[in-house]
Amino acid sequence: MKNLQVDALVVGGGIAGMQSALDLADQGFHVALVEKEASIGGKMISLSKVFPTLDCCSCITTPKMSAVAHHENITLLTYCEVVALEQNGASYRAQINKKPRYVNEESCTGCRLCEYACPLDLPSAFDMGLGAQRVIRVPFSTAVPQKAVLDIDNCILCGKCENVCPVADCIDFTQTAVTFEIHADAIVLATGFELTPTDAKAEYGGGKLRNVVDALTVERFLAPTGPYGHVLRPSDGKEPESIAYVQCAGSRDISLGVAYCSRICCMYAIKQAMLLSGALPLADITIYYMDIRTFGKGYEQFYQNARAMGIEFVRGKVARIHEDAAQNPVVRVEQIDDGSVVEREHDMVVLSVGMLPSYNPGLIYNVPVAADDGFVAQSAANISPCLTYQPGIFVAGTAAGPMDIVDSIVMAGAAAAETAAYLEERRAVGMAGNGRSPQTTSVKEVSYA
Amino acid sequence: MPDKEPLPAEEIRIGVYTCQCGGNISDVVGCARVVKAAGELGNVVVSRTNLSLCSDAGQALIEADIKEKGVNRVVIGACAPSLHEQTFRGTVARAGLNPYFYNHVGIREQASWVHHDNPDGATAKAIRLMAAGVAKARLLEPLEPIRLKAQKHALVIGGGVAGLRAALDIARRGIKVTLIEKSPFLGGHMAQLEQVFPTGDGARDLLKALIQRVVSHANITLYTQAELVGVQGVVGDFTVQICQQSRGISDDRVTAVNVVAPANLPDEFNYGLTTRSVLYQPYPGCYPATPAIDWAHYEDGCLELNGEPLHLQNKPKTFDLAVGAVVVATGFRPYEPPIGEYGYGVLPEVITLPAFIRLLALAGEDERLEFNGRAVKNIAFVHCVGSRQLDGLNEPQPDGQVNDYCSRVCCTATLQATNELHQRYPAINVFDVYEDIRTYGRGHELYYNLASENRVRFLRFHDDELPEVLAAPAGEEHPALVWVTDYLTWGQSLELPVDLVVLAVGMMPNPVDDIIKLLKINAGSDRFLAEVHPKLRPVETAVPGVLLAGTAQGPMNIQESCAAASAAAAKVAVLLGQGYVELEPFVAIVNPALCDGSGECIKECCYEDAISMQPVMVNGTEKVTAVVCAANCAGCGVCVGACPNRAIDLQGWTLKQYEAMVDALAAEDLFALELA
Amino acid sequence: MSDKREDAKKRAILLKQLREAHKETVAHAQEKLKAQQAVRRDICKLMREEPKTVPEVAEASGIPAHEVLWHITAMKKYGLVVETGMCGEYYLYQRVKDGKK
Repeated sequence: MKNLQVDALVVGGGIAGMQSALDLADQGFHVALVEKEASIGGKMISLSKVFPTLDCCSCITTPKMSAVAHHENITLLTYCEVVALEQNGASYRAQINKKPRYVNEESCTGCRLCEYACPLDLPSAFDMGLGAQRVIRVPFSTAVPQKAVLDIDNCILCGKCENVCPVADCIDFTQTAVTFEIHADAIVLATGFELTPTDAKAEYGGGKLRNVVDALTVERFLAPTGPYGHVLRPSDGKEPESIAYVQCAGSRDISLGVAYCSRICCMYAIKQAMLLSGALPLADITIYYMDIRTFGKGYEQFYQNARAMGIEFVRGKVARIHEDAAQNPVVRVEQIDDGSVVEREHDMVVLSVGMLPSYNPGLIYNVPVAADDGFVAQSAANISPCLTYQPGIFVAGTAAGPMDIVDSIVMAGAAAAETAAYLEERRAVGMAGNGRSPQTTSVKEVSYA
Repeated sequence: MPDKEPLPAEEIRIGVYTCQCGGNISDVVGCARVVKAAGELGNVVVSRTNLSLCSDAGQALIEADIKEKGVNRVVIGACAPSLHEQTFRGTVARAGLNPYFYNHVGIREQASWVHHDNPDGATAKAIRLMAAGVAKARLLEPLEPIRLKAQKHALVIGGGVAGLRAALDIARRGIKVTLIEKSPFLGGHMAQLEQVFPTGDGARDLLKALIQRVVSHANITLYTQAELVGVQGVVGDFTVQICQQSRGISDDRVTAVNVVAPANLPDEFNYGLTTRSVLYQPYPGCYPATPAIDWAHYEDGCLELNGEPLHLQNKPKTFDLAVGAVVVATGFRPYEPPIGEYGYGVLPEVITLPAFIRLLALAGEDERLEFNGRAVKNIAFVHCVGSRQLDGLNEPQPDGQVNDYCSRVCCTATLQATNELHQRYPAINVFDVYEDIRTYGRGHELYYNLASENRVRFLRFHDDELPEVLAAPAGEEHPALVWVTDYLTWGQSLELPVDLVVLAVGMMPNPVDDIIKLLKINAGSDRFLAEVHPKLRPVETAVPGVLLAGTAQGPMNIQESCAAASAAAAKVAVLLGQGYVELEPFVAIVNPALCDGSGECIKECCYEDAISMQPVMVNGTEKVTAVVCAANCAGCGVCVGACPNRAIDLQGWTLKQYEAMVDALAAEDLFALELA
Repeated sequence: MSDKREDAKKRAILLKQLREAHKETVAHAQEKLKAQQAVRRDICKLMREEPKTVPEVAEASGIPAHEVLWHITAMKKYGLVVETGMCGEYYLYQRVKDGKK
């Protein structure tokens, strides 16, 4: 694989990374977007509909994914990770490791014949283990690139996929990881977040009780591409009649070492409650909460609509959850309004899990994280929120702490502005090392060996 | 301008695509029926449906049909055109087709969403809309976008932190910026703050550094006391009129310090806690440093110099600028409670949080906090004043609407104030009366935790039982009483005797109706300026080239304002960086052979310089006909109706196309298709 | 023709070598596949003639309901099982007779 010279390297192909890459590329800068998964789209692509507009999530995400893939100034590198970074004068030299897909990315047409031929089903991480995927598969229906990827550790090497593949030499069991370098004048870290593990709080039974699920699982239930095609509870496929949300399940909880608010959980719980009322008109939906934090534009109105729709909001701290003989979760809650402790049975309980930092860029990028929350530290949080403590390295989206999609997109735009200005100012003083002038459009670098 | 040569006599092969919109359409509309019905229509060679046509895979489907099946006109039934018309135009262009050989039909907004309770009716309507789309597609003509030279110059309205940030980021990209500020000084409301969350930095220190970068940047020109008074033109080439007031006393005439000026006006910088003169400076270290005259309160002779009355005159000057884009960063104003809300304006001991922040600042190193001549021992903060209001419970604003939104910043700002209060005056008892505590931001929860450690006493009310503030009976130690039904103590009614009540007031947009009108942008139902779409185009208005930055768009804290401002700057750089902008070709076009120069179109036209009468050569003879200036035409179509000769038409939306669409919508034989 | 046969032979040899090289993971995956096929046989037998709900299949087969649900979900995704309606709060599933393998 050939080395690449670009103006900016964007790390992470979630919504923030894509937006930063697009905003830089639209200004004429050459961008390499590196994503560790086999497809871009990040966490957002697995969501159903998004608040407060209730737009279908794909309608927002997939066009941006497509735009990234087709932009003449963006080189998209999936299944790649930055494994080392060297400072080269005022520029950066990133060493990239491209994991083997065992499929020729150039020639694969995404026809999925291999996937249908493959004999073994595995729990699909994309559907939180509740759906299935084959050992060789296109990651999901709207994946970019639409290219198959093979999980060699679960492969019996039967060769059926190879037999049905219409493209010669496309499936290649001997593929190995390759390394190459990207030379960039600036870097945008858009490495995103992780969700609180479902079993983080033992009292809530997540990971143990089958009908206690996290909110991302419900996103998959509600998505048209979800595992069941309906909202069903995982223990036995029953259509739930009573669903409860436990707010702050992983946030504002010092016992978990997470003192902060995750910002998104109130709104996603309310949104899911609304969508569930649409999907299951007879279901009762209860939200147990401490404070409702619907602070964004149009969010408070959204909350009031949900109240008017009959969604039950109970001020209370859930102490623990156990299950009865029919695997119905029973929630023990102290109701703040009257101090009473009650136990209520539901068909399914959803943990409104929070956001955790997913990646510490300290080691490779020498970019420190904040001691109290583990997210990338912002050196000028108020006036220049995208600056890190490392010149030329900027941060966008949830790598810098919990935020919702709207705020991530705005911050990604801001990161693009900071990066572009930084590149322009360097150019003005004649320090430009790697990139080409944004005004010249030359042939895109060939990125494959 | 497109060639008007006759089209090659090619066979029209239409591809029709019905998007399921991830369930948004297919949950209501029977997409399979739409596909089948559309497939039966004349010239349609492909009819398909897809879960999400705007995805890469969906777009690839369309591209493949164009390349492999010879599709040369594309009709897509999907979301509103505002969402993805551009996306699909790109798809069609990538496949080698003229991007205007594509017609977008909005069956999400017009069928599935509005008729969600009537799936059959929604399906029938979707079929008719698609049939009309196909009818139009048969008559589509190839068009080219109108390309205009773009001024590499942007106007930023508002010199608060968002405007400053936006101006700086645009300038850093090599684009000239004119920054105008209505007041005589930069910094906006941020200058009135002290420590700012979440960093604890001094607000004016941060501002000073930012202002320094702005005013020293070679690409930025600054005008204070300046307002936008006129706008013409379109994206890339606006002509804006700016009107600037005189500063009053300039450095070269006299030294302002020698002017004798009685401090007899309430100082808005301190929310009336102090007074200032008509010749004033809000705070030491402000920018510009020169004091300015407050012309609204100036009376001739009210100032003296060396014992002589000084005669000053405001001579506003107006000038034009050519700019390619406009960033609106007009900011917010704190909610002003009506007289009597929580005792405001009735009890002197009731003040707003912004005023309290000034009070703390003015107290300086004082050993005790005094208000109204009394030492403050007990103080209550009340949250959500002017925010999260409910119809029927709260007094509406003059427009009849209550403020039903959350103002985002007040919770953390209140807790920051209680923490500062505790640090400086640990003996004061603090009550915090709230509905929900919303310390959502990074580091904000720590302010809440610290307040709890500081023994701030929290009391929680429900939105249907708002607290009350009353005067204490005469002779009581504390002048005011706050009544709360507190749900942290299971609904007990509590009476808090206090010396000061601080109302955590929310944000309202600055009144900018004039700017809204001039720029033809929109405000939302919350009165803040509206973006096109919160995720797809979060800092853009519906008017190309007009962008939003900061709290003009909605409540935001400083960090969020700066992020939004930088994002707007990135959009300006995208727009103006290339040196040209492209506009949709949907403009009026004149057939000179039919035009008899009656001028009816000009009479009806609402846009300046969009149509003019000019001599043109028609078939070798010169005649005077209407000529359209594409850059000024908004494509409204009023002229089309006015023309007695049908000589003027709208490109991309011609009368013929409309007629075909109407015929298709009303076609009898469609009923069979609808029922199929 | 013979070229193709040659290629097929070469591929078969290569696969054999690879299976040897990945011995452990292949063996593990093969076990998984065997178990999966056995469970699927039991589940499909019950749903072949008439549609069944998840608890019905679970009870008749002795396989835990959540596992039944997962297998049905997987088979549905690849067109081997279809949903035919509802019975109370549960969906009914049936094995497709000529389901693509």
